[in-house]
Amino acid sequence: MNRRQLLKLMGFSGAVVAVSGCGGAFGGGSAGGEGSVKVGLLIPQSGVYSPLGEDMRRGWDLWLEQNGGTFGEYEVDTVVADEGEGPQTGVAAARRLLNEERCDVIVGIVNSAVALGIVDMVNEAQKLLLVANAGAGDITAGQVSPYIWRTSFTNAQVARAMGAHMATLDLSGGVYVVAPDYAAGEEAVDGFTAAFTDAGGTVAGQSMPPFGTTQDYQPVLSRIRNSGAEATYSFFAGSEAVTFVQQYNEFGLADEVPLYGSGFLTEGQVLSAQGQAAVDVRTALHYSTELDSEANSTFVEAYEGAYSAAPTVYAVQTYDAAAVLDQALRGADALDGDAISEELSGLDVLASPRGEWRFDGQSPHQEMYLRTVESVDGSLVNAVTDSLGEFGQSS
Amino acid sequence: MPSILASNLTSLLNGLSIGFLLFTLAVGLTLVFGMMDVLNLAHGAIYLAGAYIGWYVMGADPTWTVFLAALGVAAVVGLLAGGALSLLVQPLASRPHLDQALLTLGVALILAELLSMAFGDDVRSVSPPSALAGSVDVAGGSYPIYRLFLIGVGLALAVVVYLVVERTTVGALIRATVADRDMVSAVGVDNRKVRIAVFGAGVALATVAGVFGAPVYGARPGLDWTILILALVVVVVGGLGSIKGALVGALLIGQVETFGRSLFPEFASFVLFGALALVLIARPRGLFGAPTGVKV
Amino acid sequence: MNAHATVAPTVESAGAATPRGRRDIVRVVLLVTLVLCLVGLPLVADPFATTTATRVLAFALLAVSLDLLVGVTGLPSLGHAAYFGVGAYTAGWLSIHIGIDGPVALLAATLAGASVAAATGWLAVRSGGIFFLMLTLAIGEVLHQVAHSWRSVTGGSDGMYGVPATTVGGVDLANPGFLYWYVLGAFGVGYLLIRMVVRSSFGAALRGIHDNEPRMRALGYPVFGYKLAAFVIAGAGAGLAGGLLVAQQRIVTPDDLGFTTGALVLLAVVIGGAGTLWGACIGAAVVVLVRDYFGPALDGHGPLLLGIVFVIVVYVMPRGVAGVAGIRGKERAA
Repeated sequence: MNRRQLLKLMGFSGAVVAVSGCGGAFGGGSAGGEGSVKVGLLIPQSGVYSPLGEDMRRGWDLWLEQNGGTFGEYEVDTVVADEGEGPQTGVAAARRLLNEERCDVIVGIVNSAVALGIVDMVNEAQKLLLVANAGAGDITAGQVSPYIWRTSFTNAQVARAMGAHMATLDLSGGVYVVAPDYAAGEEAVDGFTAAFTDAGGTVAGQSMPPFGTTQDYQPVLSRIRNSGAEATYSFFAGSEAVTFVQQYNEFGLADEVPLYGSGFLTEGQVLSAQGQAAVDVRTALHYSTELDSEANSTFVEAYEGAYSAAPTVYAVQTYDAAAVLDQALRGADALDGDAISEELSGLDVLASPRGEWRFDGQSPHQEMYLRTVESVDGSLVNAVTDSLGEFGQSS
Repeated sequence: MPSILASNLTSLLNGLSIGFLLFTLAVGLTLVFGMMDVLNLAHGAIYLAGAYIGWYVMGADPTWTVFLAALGVAAVVGLLAGGALSLLVQPLASRPHLDQALLTLGVALILAELLSMAFGDDVRSVSPPSALAGSVDVAGGSYPIYRLFLIGVGLALAVVVYLVVERTTVGALIRATVADRDMVSAVGVDNRKVRIAVFGAGVALATVAGVFGAPVYGARPGLDWTILILALVVVVVGGLGSIKGALVGALLIGQVETFGRSLFPEFASFVLFGALALVLIARPRGLFGAPTGVKV
Repeated sequence: MNAHATVAPTVESAGAATPRGRRDIVRVVLLVTLVLCLVGLPLVADPFATTTATRVLAFALLAVSLDLLVGVTGLPSLGHAAYFGVGAYTAGWLSIHIGIDGPVALLAATLAGASVAAATGWLAVRSGGIFFLMLTLAIGEVLHQVAHSWRSVTGGSDGMYGVPATTVGGVDLANPGFLYWYVLGAFGVGYLLIRMVVRSSFGAALRGIHDNEPRMRALGYPVFGYKLAAFVIAGAGAGLAGGLLVAQQRIVTPDDLGFTTGALVLLAVVIGGAGTLWGACIGAAVVVLVRDYFGPALDGHGPLLLGIVFVIVVYVMPRGVAGVAGIRGKERAA
């Protein structure tokens, strides 16, 4: 038996199981049948990232609800899978969505390692992956895959916006840079430092405490105090953001050395956990609930009406992922990765609650905002204090 | 440079405060192991339950009364949960240590999942009682008052545990049980009641530690593993089953976690387990471990 | 255990060829059926099931190698995933940067697992019981941190991604069915080698250490050397399993050698019944199925299911799946 025959045999018997077991067709066809598109929503439902997953799911559901549950002519059939905390669960879940559920498109992903870990799988399946959060530059850089697009940000993009801004402030004592010691932290530090020093800023010192195992930032805070820095730039998210901002305040630095950061530092539920300790923290991000635009106020109102909670950047990114897919599927003649990618590359400017943005390569080119945490009627918000200009993945 | 000296002083002080916090959260683990021969891997999840109780009861700007109420609720819940856990472990008494440890690991997974269902996956932060909120100036920088309070709590707890174990009849029974379990039951003491009581006390210490620790570590999914690992390192460094060892181990690890990290920032991620490995290489049973080993 | 101990001599002493012969025939038929099922699986299963089975095999070999420590020698390790990760990183790095053939990468992964186990094992095997558990946890966590921090080689927290599809003699095995057979073949070799070790006189000495270490020492056995050798062989098996994992997964992340993986594989060994190698394989299958197959579809309640499985197994199956099947101890009794 030669290889071709063997392959055919496998394909054939595999198809037998697929038809009898799952009711789908084998191979390139759509699982949802004529007129429907099956989307795998890969979001964390367990573990430390699950609050982000919840926001993403809400953004996705809200768009579908507002738009009759269809992308173009296609009925949308959403299958949710749990990304968990990392590739061990996330890659397996993606495989389930692609091979078992036979989804046409994968949307979501919080953890960059999951996105990077399924590049080959996506390429081989020739399906579209629309990343709605994960920020590693490599996901959409250097043409790793024609099928992977992103509606969120890159870690360096957000950090560069802040670096360029802080270089314009009068900080002669320099800026202290702190981020957790992992890939995203390093990208943020590199992006910030490059933009900041290119524009004439001075770095007073840098710390990268261990990621995920640091409960106490006092050693770092002591070093910031001793460095003589006039401001701190930080990149933290989730529980680390809460701990860092609170301790920054408890150890008395908040009054002496103003705290700046990438927007995840004070985004969403993290901000309410930080409480008053977060007031006056300044961050850069491509969204805030406080953006003054009609698109945003309509969105915020609808979101709060549906979920009794304020939206977050994670919800907007996934909301936009649905909007982008809708645009693409209006023109696409098939549901494979090539057809949808072709449509995506032809898209013009997209309207969104975050403001207008477009694809720069396969990642957004978008406006960045300077946000300052303020207490409004007893609740904390990221007030928009300035625009920092438009940034893409590479420029 | 005086500011360097000052920041080292702050690190030392902070190490002391973290050390006493570690002692409160590790002492229950070592007590249960010393008395019951059970390595309770659900200790971290139980701590987290205590932290959530603290968050739930205390709310924003808690008063002393509310703080004490949270401690009381946590203690009661802990006693009941500990009693239940001791009944769960009872049938496995004759089985290898590993089986009992794995049972508690399973309980830990289930409990953590139940907590996530009950309290959500958001990060919860807890304010200290308002009298202890804020910071004071120490060695040229501000230092949170609550952390100074934790030093007092840890000291008081150490004294209480010492007095109970060394000076009371209950303590005598505990020491006798550690020394020779069969003999104690042979002279007519109901071993089961002692088991349930000690298990209850050990677990209650974990939930109470959760309330004390909440203003520092907060409450969130995943904290259970962080705390379990820290507590395990502390009691293994000190010598499993030894209360004195838990205290010394906690103070040592407290310094390692703060002073060590500030002296060697580039090796920060290695200091904790590096210290554990060093201690075990030098003293394979920990600093105050019993010379005769227990077989798994 | 008792029932078995009394039954076995009866069968032996009866000396009757018929029952013994019949039992052998049953065993052979069972074995052949099992092998046929394993080999034939990709012909009937869809690609996703085939891929899951491939992961089960890699994880099963890891569990088997750990069982050599836990069940046979009596050394419960929480850090065994470290050598699994070392093997996976080694094979992944060589495939990316040198592009070597699959079997060579597996060999390198095996050697790497053994070398790192030798370098760290001499520390661990001096202790026993809970302290061994903690020391292996510490070693595992230190290696986990190395994987996190040594970004130029491992890729840090994003993992080592972009591992090319395994090639054998220049032909690539991108098809899940071919890859499954390749992994099955390597698993078979690894399994049989470890089984040989267990059944040798060396294996008997390890069981002696498990049952009564002071006695073995008194009899003049170099206990430290034996334990270290067992640790190194287990490390080699874990390294090979890591090489198989990366062949399937094509990404390695620090999580693959972390505490969770170490705890899960220990669970697999206990579910299966410590001391029986095939039981460890079943345990691994249960764990991988719960985590990878059912877990993602449970709305985030995968860990709950795992916890319940844990508790049930400890209570209901004191000697694991093998104990329930009632043929545990074949390896031990032999």
